Amino acid sequence: MMNRFNHLPTLKIDVSDKIPFTYKGKTYYGTKGDTIATALYANGVRIYARSLKYHRPRGLYSMDGECSNTMMEVNGIPNVRTETTALKPGMVVKEQNVKGSAENDLMGFIDKMDWAMPAGFYYDTMHKPAKIWPVAMKQIRKAAGIGKLAPDHHMPGKYDEIFPSCDVCVIGGGPAGMKAALAAAQKGLRVSIMEARPWLGGHFEYRSSEYISRQTHHERAVQLAKEVEKTENIRVFTHTANVGVYNNNLITGFQVGKESDSFTERYIEIRANSVVVATGCIERPLLFENNERPGVMQAGCALRLANTYGILPGKIAVFSIGHDLGLETAVALHDLGLSIPVIADIREDGQDPAMLKAVLDRKITILKGWVATEAHGGKQVKKVTIKSVDGTISKTFDCDVLVASAGFTPLTGPLVVNQAKLTYDNHTNFFLPTDLPKKMYAAGRLLGFENAKSIEASGHLAGLKAAYDCENCSIADLGEAKKAMENLPGPARGTKLVTAPVKGRKTFICFDEDTSIKNIKQSIDKGFDVPELIKRFSGAGLGPGQGGIPGHNLPLFAAKYQALPDIKIKPTTVRAPLVPTLIATYAGTNHTMFKRTPMDEMQRKDGGIFRNIGVWQRARYFSKDFTCKKEIENVRTNVGMLDGSTLGKFRIHGPDALNALQRVYVSDLSKIKEGRVKYTAMCNDDGCVIDDGVVIKRGENDYYFSTSTGRAGQTIEWIRYHTRYDNWNFAVINLTDAMGVINLSGPNARKVLEKVVDIDVSNEGFGFSEYKEFKISDTIPVRAMRLGFVGELSYELHVPSSYMKSVWLMLKEAGREFKIQNFGVEAQNVLRMEKCHIILGQESEQRTNLLDIGLGFLWSRKKTGCKTVGVAALAQAEKDNTRLKLVGFKMENNGRAPKDGSLIVDDRVRGYVCTARNSFSLNEAVGMALVEGDMSKIGTRLAFYEDECKGELIYGTVVQTPFYDPDGKRMKM
Amino acid sequence: MFSKSKPMWGKKTKLKSSYDVVLIGGGLHSLATAYYLAKEHGITDVAIIEKNYIGYGGAGRNTAIVRANQRTQYNVPLYKEALDLWPVLTKELDYNLMFNNCGNLNLMHSEAAMNAARMTIATAQFHGVESHLIDAREAKELVPALNISEDITFPIHGAMFHPPGGVVRHDAVVWGLAKGAAKMGVEIHQQTEATGINTKNGKVTAVVTDRGVINTKQVLISAGGYSAALIHGFLGIKLPISVLTIQAMVTQPLKPILNHVVSSGAYHCYANQTLKGEIATGAHMDQWPNYTTLTTAHYIKHQAEALSEFLPALRGVRFMRIWGGLADMTPDMAPIMDGNDQVEGFFMDCGWGYFGFKSCSAVGRHMASFMATNTCPDILKPFALKRYQEHKLMGETAALVSYTPDN
Repeated sequence: MMNRFNHLPTLKIDVSDKIPFTYKGKTYYGTKGDTIATALYANGVRIYARSLKYHRPRGLYSMDGECSNTMMEVNGIPNVRTETTALKPGMVVKEQNVKGSAENDLMGFIDKMDWAMPAGFYYDTMHKPAKIWPVAMKQIRKAAGIGKLAPDHHMPGKYDEIFPSCDVCVIGGGPAGMKAALAAAQKGLRVSIMEARPWLGGHFEYRSSEYISRQTHHERAVQLAKEVEKTENIRVFTHTANVGVYNNNLITGFQVGKESDSFTERYIEIRANSVVVATGCIERPLLFENNERPGVMQAGCALRLANTYGILPGKIAVFSIGHDLGLETAVALHDLGLSIPVIADIREDGQDPAMLKAVLDRKITILKGWVATEAHGGKQVKKVTIKSVDGTISKTFDCDVLVASAGFTPLTGPLVVNQAKLTYDNHTNFFLPTDLPKKMYAAGRLLGFENAKSIEASGHLAGLKAAYDCENCSIADLGEAKKAMENLPGPARGTKLVTAPVKGRKTFICFDEDTSIKNIKQSIDKGFDVPELIKRFSGAGLGPGQGGIPGHNLPLFAAKYQALPDIKIKPTTVRAPLVPTLIATYAGTNHTMFKRTPMDEMQRKDGGIFRNIGVWQRARYFSKDFTCKKEIENVRTNVGMLDGSTLGKFRIHGPDALNALQRVYVSDLSKIKEGRVKYTAMCNDDGCVIDDGVVIKRGENDYYFSTSTGRAGQTIEWIRYHTRYDNWNFAVINLTDAMGVINLSGPNARKVLEKVVDIDVSNEGFGFSEYKEFKISDTIPVRAMRLGFVGELSYELHVPSSYMKSVWLMLKEAGREFKIQNFGVEAQNVLRMEKCHIILGQESEQRTNLLDIGLGFLWSRKKTGCKTVGVAALAQAEKDNTRLKLVGFKMENNGRAPKDGSLIVDDRVRGYVCTARNSFSLNEAVGMALVEGDMSKIGTRLAFYEDECKGELIYGTVVQTPFYDPDGKRMKM
Repeated sequence: MFSKSKPMWGKKTKLKSSYDVVLIGGGLHSLATAYYLAKEHGITDVAIIEKNYIGYGGAGRNTAIVRANQRTQYNVPLYKEALDLWPVLTKELDYNLMFNNCGNLNLMHSEAAMNAARMTIATAQFHGVESHLIDAREAKELVPALNISEDITFPIHGAMFHPPGGVVRHDAVVWGLAKGAAKMGVEIHQQTEATGINTKNGKVTAVVTDRGVINTKQVLISAGGYSAALIHGFLGIKLPISVLTIQAMVTQPLKPILNHVVSSGAYHCYANQTLKGEIATGAHMDQWPNYTTLTTAHYIKHQAEALSEFLPALRGVRFMRIWGGLADMTPDMAPIMDGNDQVEGFFMDCGWGYFGFKSCSAVGRHMASFMATNTCPDILKPFALKRYQEHKLMGETAALVSYTPDN
């Protein structure tokens, strides 16, 4: 392990604290503060991985994880960005996508096969003859992908989520971001900062160059960070990558937990009033032959290796750069002991004079108007050829590091995903944001500022603008801040060179997908002329790092290659997540949310087997016998109780309550009498039945009605929507959760009920279809109905939810002498099917209308006063005999019931089975089916085609309905 | 194979002043129609008018899943034909469409859902399409990453397994059809916006574009999510279509872990692994009609929550890209294919919702026949617009769909 600096003020490591980890099965040591990648670098590792397609060796390049070069498997998790992931004791680190090792990859020969793999080659190959494709496909699948994940992989760690809000959210905690946050905070606003790195400071943080006299950039960063941290109304999220920005400033990100945190990672979703984006710049990759050979790295990467992590990147470094940070890096690394034979500066002029002097003072050769054209060395850089930018003169230098950087590229992702438009700016050579969304501001280096004061001032101004949006800043303050900006240097001129003068066969514009300049030319030649299409066809920017590496160069190169007069060409679309984000992190704490009835706990204790039914969980069975034989027989011969609390329950009242009901229900509800229950249905504009239930008139202009479980959520909106032009005066209240329902059914139901209530429950006192309100023990208000859904004597008791358990227990106690039993939803399903009472969604589809299921009798044509939703369609459909009709059927020769969902066929499909069961009550197989109109006549023979029947049909006959107790005596007894 | 490349769909040409047929929209249905007009009917004087670039819309935004296990007898044969066409087109176009017939597994989370699936399966089997109901254990054998334990939000009861379905490389279909059509003389005009259709005496006479007027007697609008607005804007024909944003996303590429398309209605989620190794996943539509392709924070999170439950191994992989597209939804979730109805010479092929990709090949073929012969093929007849006037919806969905307040 190499010696590491321990004296630099900028260091983030503690060399005295060694951290063991495993790499390729052996134990290595990093130091506290290392990332996995820097620990490996310090241990001499230069090749971290092999590339996706050509298996080219790849090394540390940018330090911010824009490409997959240093993605590795860590603790079983694939594609971990080791350059941004903190090293922890005991980590197990493995190389990905290699046969052998990254150092010696048996697949490395593929790099020489690039001639056979032009852009989009796979579309032109492997399909002739057709039978080779399945074989080829298997090989493609094996070769593709980088990380590996086992099917039973268990993700360790804790993943949390928080949803804070603030007035101003600042994305980026560099100098501009911190100044923006301070400006807004000083106006009394609540501010959040999201910073991707584990500390504030941005590009000031790692620079020991002069900010003002006697203060370095690093010291300035520390000063600002202290100020931010002591400001109480600024909440700082460090190690938090911003991943999305959405409408109305909803900002998402994820934070990596520190050792002291209770989470491994957590999802953060911030709702902010206004946003400042101060994400700064990354470096624009320089394009030349073998521009991604290990040893080639960007200036910031080299500088941070030394200043932040105490590692001198190599012994001899050639620089090929196009900006002053490149010169600064050369000076800094020279002073730390790096030998620099030459700096090739793309710029002919325009260098910062002070920087230039510093370079010359150190006797470093600087060639202006020169650029690297090729990195030599099989696995690592050994030599570099540089040429004058016109390509005429060349020189070669030995080295083990090549610091290469064409310029800067702004990190505009947060702006773009929130619909900001980018326009090419000739001066900075940036795609700069124009047309920013409301309440969103950009600041700092991403606007092209390089002067430290300008960067800070633009942050300050953006912070005030954001405060102004929160009505906490005066115009005068804004004016002052703008004025301050005017006296400072504007955006710096950017270098425009896209590629060094090379042919580009091994010049990679996208590392992750191994897309070379040559591939881009091939794509354009084939007609893929806009960047978005080039991206799709060549793959550039589609890899794990998304557009980070090619994002800026691709549109520039496409414009250049097509000789477009000016760069109207747009960069490819940037999409969320701006940083690849674990599914575990997005999922957070993952809630299961279902509604539970008041009887939930007791029913579970009674052995209820629960199922999800819409938004509810309900007891579907009370034994493992899913035919529910006992439950059914108990209701038919004795008495049972069902929890029907999920039923939709509503009160509608007011002068126009009846009008509203008349609008949505097909029946004439003006005729209902108090004390009676009216069964009716709702249709949509197509006449299709959407709901059924009962309506009760409780008083003048005051109704109580029920809906099916599934429709309860939409009912109020439905009524409001269909009365939206009427200006009617009524109120609807959803009582679904406020009231529970107990269905007490069976021939002994009356005997049970009369023990609990004081009212006369005899058939004369409380007859079929009647409604009563009374109190149990002078306390519990009950709304009771005599209905017959299951075809037996039956009481439906609507009870306030808080009293449900009490009433349930009272009935249970009263029923003890009869051995009262629970019954669940499936038993009810069979019981009502025997009675041919329909359940919407089971005996109907969305296209089924009121007439199709035989409920036409509910439709009142004489209703006056208001139009009813759906009746126009019903009138039209009345004469149509081609529609599917609901019929009841019995099986021939006492055969078994067909499975639900079986088809009814002749030479084509004629209908299907809705519900069919071998009925215990009837001792025969019966069911209901939807069949085409001409097959609905009594006596029609039906042929059932079941899945996997292999053509063996079974037969039944259309019969009269209902099957059970056709006269309805039992429910009326 | 490796010779100097030429533009795949011809050099950029001038727009002529007239064509036999104009197709508005440079998506798959339009490209397939053009291809078959030329190939099967010899009609090559055809212009495709595309505002952006071919494959900009749904053609390039779908997740490339193909299958023929639809619910009704009207749809199954159409999708079966489409499914059977992938290998045929690969050969005809001499372009590898990368059909991976890995099979689709549609998870069922209740007894009721299993019964509903049985109807779909019986329909498939009756029409000679392979599809089976399997239990949770069998599903786990096919997809080892599946979580079949009881303690998830929607425990898996079983699945509908449809072996012939799978995934096709959607971009390849766009480019392959463009290449095939262009080779036979079809002109593809990108960055050309249609702005109107001229009619006279109830007949189409011309298409107006931002590059000039094109005289033609036949025009097809097949512009995906934008169709309904164009048809209404150009001809005043109102369609019962709601346009919703639908989102999809991919993870970073992995070595093979999922060998089938897995989907779940209850979780609103499907996932499949592309040949590149990415897990492509989606299924959700925003519940409010809109014409944007904006993504939402809520959806990518939802998707992560869902996958965390039924494919928990995927918790260890990262999402890297989410995008949105448009789904033009009809009340019965079946498309509208019609022609010569209110205006002679005007054809439409829209309302596909999120089924446009899987159907494109067969539909293009039949629409071409419709346009070439002016006779609606039997297979397209059930999809006529007038079914809505007659309140006769198709049964493609069992449950009521709800994306606007009035249905």
